[in-house]
Amino acid sequence: MKRAGITNRIIYAVLSLASFAALFPLYHLVVTSLKSKTEYLDNTVGLPIAPTLESFRFIIVDGGMLGFFVNNLVLIPLGLCAYIAVCLSAGFAFGKLRFPFKLPLFLSVLFLMIFPQMLLAMQIFRLASSLGLLDSYLGVLLVWTAYFAPFGTYIMTTYFASVPFELVESARIDGASTFSILTRIMAPVASPMVGTLVIIGVQSMWNELPFSLLILRDGTKRTVALAIAMLKGEYGLRAPDLSAAVVLASIVPIALFLVFQKKITLGTLAGSVKG
Amino acid sequence: MRLSYKNEEARDSFLLLAPLFLLLALFIAFPVLSNFRFAFLDWKGFGTPKPVGLANFAAMFSSPMFRISLLNTGKLLLYIPVSVASTVLLAALLREGLRGWGIYRSILYIPNLLGPVIMGVVLAISLRDTGPFNSLLRGMGLDVLALDWLGSEHLSIHVVGLLHVVWVRLGFGIIYFLSAMSAIDPALYEAALMDGASWWKRFFNVTVPSVVFSIEFWTVLSFIEVFARMFGFIFSFTKGGPGFSTFTLEYGIYYLAFVNMKMGMASAWATVLFFFCAIISVAQLRLMKKREE
Repeated sequence: MKRAGITNRIIYAVLSLASFAALFPLYHLVVTSLKSKTEYLDNTVGLPIAPTLESFRFIIVDGGMLGFFVNNLVLIPLGLCAYIAVCLSAGFAFGKLRFPFKLPLFLSVLFLMIFPQMLLAMQIFRLASSLGLLDSYLGVLLVWTAYFAPFGTYIMTTYFASVPFELVESARIDGASTFSILTRIMAPVASPMVGTLVIIGVQSMWNELPFSLLILRDGTKRTVALAIAMLKGEYGLRAPDLSAAVVLASIVPIALFLVFQKKITLGTLAGSVKG
Repeated sequence: MRLSYKNEEARDSFLLLAPLFLLLALFIAFPVLSNFRFAFLDWKGFGTPKPVGLANFAAMFSSPMFRISLLNTGKLLLYIPVSVASTVLLAALLREGLRGWGIYRSILYIPNLLGPVIMGVVLAISLRDTGPFNSLLRGMGLDVLALDWLGSEHLSIHVVGLLHVVWVRLGFGIIYFLSAMSAIDPALYEAALMDGASWWKRFFNVTVPSVVFSIEFWTVLSFIEVFARMFGFIFSFTKGGPGFSTFTLEYGIYYLAFVNMKMGMASAWATVLFFFCAIISVAQLRLMKKREE
């Protein structure tokens, strides 16, 4: 009995230490974003003595952060539509239809899943400039969809493979075309997985860095993640300003997590096989 | 003329797959293949590429930056066993169903949630020489431990390894292993308890053997992470510095191609990276097949 008590205490100590390490940077981020630059020099860790929103004003007004949020608001929903459409139709074909060369085609999708963005970046840059896609949102959308789709296709395929065949067969007997089976029957059946796909998509696109960095060269077109990465290097920004920018950028993923906590952890599980 | 039922299904399938394969061909397969050609060319990102034979490869193998990047990638791989051990151990602790374990799980998931770019910026602020982490250490009288984490060429790559390979991915790994462990038959633990096995005995004789597959998979995922998914974190955390001390193959490609505008040279690096990735990809496919069986 006594032994178990000690073990438990050790376990709690380990977990608390790990949690502290996860929370401390966040705490520091929030308190720093509320300090003036002069206060931060003397008071790095403590609570702000004279809290100010000056850093937020600077980032939003002078840093144009609002504009970057608007960019995300335009880009991500469009990207999601393309991503879902591609993954849903390909996943349905791989999961429920019969056609020649199915396995080799599926394996080639999985094989292409792993390549790092930098391996592709140079040629994507060349392609984008010869197709006139530099500095265009269309370019980012196409590249994002291409890069994220193999994984989305993989999870939709495994999902559709588990849907009973009778659903497809009975619709066929009623004379439904493949496309109406997909849109009228399979898409509604798959809606929980599509929800997971939306969350994975938002997270991937919200955090995507190298492609947006290479394609969007015009400073005003940047995404939030790109703006944050550039802020750090460009102006040698001070900690309070940088913290304010990061707090603003973190609001969306954190809000998503609080609302969809269960779906996100499920999504990560589905994602456990991602490349 | 109407197509036969079977041909119709095949035609529809290819129509449904067309958008995916068009995008993959254009933005993934074509770039991967073109890299091989460009590795034998001199190209600055504009103008006409010039053939240079094997010069890019010769320059690559004699470049200290390449040696450092390759060595760093190797050093980062050393953190994979650390990641496996700490993730499995923490998941095993959380699986005991302690009070409040759900909260711990959520808190530990935060670094994953914020993503590598934001985490890179946050950790860079926290670990500055005069930053909060060191203030905290000094406040506790641990001045010896208040090192210049990001400013030292010897230390920085290990900081990157510990933070990205182990720490940032920990929350995700815990959820992954918790679900694997939830499938273990409780009777196995009861039998072990009857035999009077200690916590560690149960951990090594029951938990670990039951999740061997997940451990293998996590290891492959970690390899993918190190070789192919570290750019965003390094870019926002250290920008490869100080010097070249946190360069990886992937970061080196970025630096050569888009900072130095030596695209041909970067393609030679990319060729090396391709072979590493291809090996990992095949390993992953084999594991996935094993799981299906």
